[in-house]
Amino acid sequence: MTAEHVRASAGAGQSPDSGDLRLIVRDQPMSLPAHVAHYGPAPQNAAQPAALITEIERAGLTGRGGGAFPTGRKFRAVAAENSGRRSPVVVANGSESEPASSKDAVLLSHSPHLVLDGIALAAESVGAARAYLCVGSRGNLARSVGAAIAERDQAGLATPPIEIISRPDGYLAGQETALVSMLNGGLPVPTLVPPRPSDKGVRRQPTLVLNVETLAHVALIARYGAVWFRSVGSDAAPGSALVTVTGAVDRPGVREIPLGTALGEVLRRSGLNSPAQAVLTGGYFGSWLPLPAALGVPVSAPGLRAAGGSLGAGVLAVLPDTACGLAETARVTGYLAGQIAAQCGPCRNGMPALAEAMNRIAFGQPDADIIRWAHQLTDLVTGRGACHLPDGAAGLVTSALEVFAADLRAHAQAGPCERARRPAILPIPARNYR
Amino acid sequence: MTGTPPAALVVTSSTPLWYTTRATGLVAMVLLTAAMATGLLTSVRFEHRNWPRFVTLGLHRNLSLLALAFTVLHVLTTVLDNFVSIPLVDAFVPFIGTYRPFWLGLGAIAFDLMLALIGTSLVRTRMRLRSWRLVHWTAYACWPVAVIHGLGTGTDTPVRWVLALTAACVLVIVVLTLWRLALSWPQRPGWVTAGIVLVVLAVVAGGAWLRAGPLAPNWNIRSGTHTSQSRTVSGTSARTTK
Amino acid sequence: MSQGRDDRAAARAPREFELRVNPIRCDAHGVCIELLPELITADPWGYPRVRPGPVPLRLLALARRAVTDCPTLAIALAERAADQPEAGHSRVRPDS
Repeated sequence: MTAEHVRASAGAGQSPDSGDLRLIVRDQPMSLPAHVAHYGPAPQNAAQPAALITEIERAGLTGRGGGAFPTGRKFRAVAAENSGRRSPVVVANGSESEPASSKDAVLLSHSPHLVLDGIALAAESVGAARAYLCVGSRGNLARSVGAAIAERDQAGLATPPIEIISRPDGYLAGQETALVSMLNGGLPVPTLVPPRPSDKGVRRQPTLVLNVETLAHVALIARYGAVWFRSVGSDAAPGSALVTVTGAVDRPGVREIPLGTALGEVLRRSGLNSPAQAVLTGGYFGSWLPLPAALGVPVSAPGLRAAGGSLGAGVLAVLPDTACGLAETARVTGYLAGQIAAQCGPCRNGMPALAEAMNRIAFGQPDADIIRWAHQLTDLVTGRGACHLPDGAAGLVTSALEVFAADLRAHAQAGPCERARRPAILPIPARNYR
Repeated sequence: MTGTPPAALVVTSSTPLWYTTRATGLVAMVLLTAAMATGLLTSVRFEHRNWPRFVTLGLHRNLSLLALAFTVLHVLTTVLDNFVSIPLVDAFVPFIGTYRPFWLGLGAIAFDLMLALIGTSLVRTRMRLRSWRLVHWTAYACWPVAVIHGLGTGTDTPVRWVLALTAACVLVIVVLTLWRLALSWPQRPGWVTAGIVLVVLAVVAGGAWLRAGPLAPNWNIRSGTHTSQSRTVSGTSARTTK
Repeated sequence: MSQGRDDRAAARAPREFELRVNPIRCDAHGVCIELLPELITADPWGYPRVRPGPVPLRLLALARRAVTDCPTLAIALAERAADQPEAGHSRVRPDS
């Protein structure tokens, strides 16, 4: 797995000389000595644990797991609950249940110590005595991360005890409240918010749930400061981020980019080859953007949102002209419909109906009624569940019907195009959760 | 006032209370049956174009409160009626009395359950839903216990129309309970079968007990009434206790 | 100085409430839909859709009844912050 060098604005003085790479700087996993040699030792914050929170706020770090929630605010919420009688918990979410994303797996295998530093620093700043790290089922992450933790124990690094959890199968298992529910001994399905995990999470304690990439950034901010962090990226979206580029590109994979880089630049670096018609941004809960129209869109949470897409889990899946966007969307919607927790009526009823409607649209000859019904369903399932899976699916379908409007008309007139019968571009996990 | 009052006066002065006890007891049973019935109708989601669900729910609440009110009257008149000594505590603590202790005790149990059912429902939004549900399940015990109490202690059990009224109440609840059970058949066939068997057994056993107990001679004595507690009332419309 | 005046004004303002459905508990009994057709409509499967915004004063008593009557306690009255915007549904992303 190569880490691509991407041009960025000038870095700050103290940072290590790796060009512009911050998170993943080597082609193979970094051992503890290599990690310390490259980044320097992790700062000790015992005297002023809250100082880190201020620095994170100043850096403007937002969550890298899909929500893009201001990280500093999350820290504050958990730290504020710690009136001495409570024992907060830190949960590092590396579950990466998004099928098209692999950034968390790559980060954990290549720079585990950055993430572990982040966990230790986060725990210190909110007063947590315990931490969990949830890893995905791909590769052998549990073992490699376990080895990294053992390395730290031997080196005498003061970390809180970290328990490694393997995420169970299922798209929703990595969702914040589902993860907390599982850690509490329940099912890995989302729970109703409020109460947020920052108020009541694992064992009813204030729980700080952060994506592993976010924690890696925390480890860097603690070392080099907010100003350094903001030296790349844009004002609205500071810092760098990992994205997973897949689909019709020569060099698919995970790469680190300064936020705000133009989409076209990111895809060019990944070797955009055949003529492409659209790109799926965010993940399976994200949305399509047309190409080449969207090449100038800045890759950042606000930038993509303004264009009708989303940064989400950092997925950029390029759809070549030889594929059918409606067919891909129908397959993903079918997958998502099989992944629902089935706790909430509107989703339990609406998602299978939406999948069925998309099936008819992509692989049948849709009439005006079924298209209207699909639109109605996207409205019916949005905002009416305990989690946002149906919202994401609705957004995906809405954007597909818009971006692939020409295909829609063609399907309505003459049935499914022959491109719809091509093998799938977007990966659908073989075994469904239910 | 000097001298002991004539025995007839003693009996007569307690008669209105005694009649009230019997009457309020019967009315409470009917109201409790109606409350239970509307509760079952809610759980089977009964509705009709002219009968929305909130009507069933509103009736359920009001009928329950009425049933409680009449039960309280029933308890008060029983306690105040000093022909037989039944202290107030016997209304709450079962089986400690001297008059038909077992059958009266059942009444205390039913009364306690009613208080719990209605009390928890008044604070329903302020307690955990699971706890409220657990308490509300005891309604399935409360109603039959109340009915058996009525049949066991009731002076009027052998009266034909009283039997008919009780049978009608039992029929309504049995039908609705079977309807409620049938709804759960797809998910829990085992439990439903057990429930149906239980209902059938209960009806059969109840009928057998009725025939051998309250409707058979000397129930009075067999149920634990002392001779001093028996009373006779003159009058064409009155009946002697058996 | 104006801060104090704002505080007093806020204290005098009538409290506003809005209805919130717990989608996990909701079992589509439909009692709330019957009681408050002005505010709650049924979707094609019988589940409630609450009109966003505060509950009008004249319907508040019915709203309270809907809360206590719901067989699964799936609807609640929550106090709105005075300056809360209408709860529209922007495309929200899942949490981290």
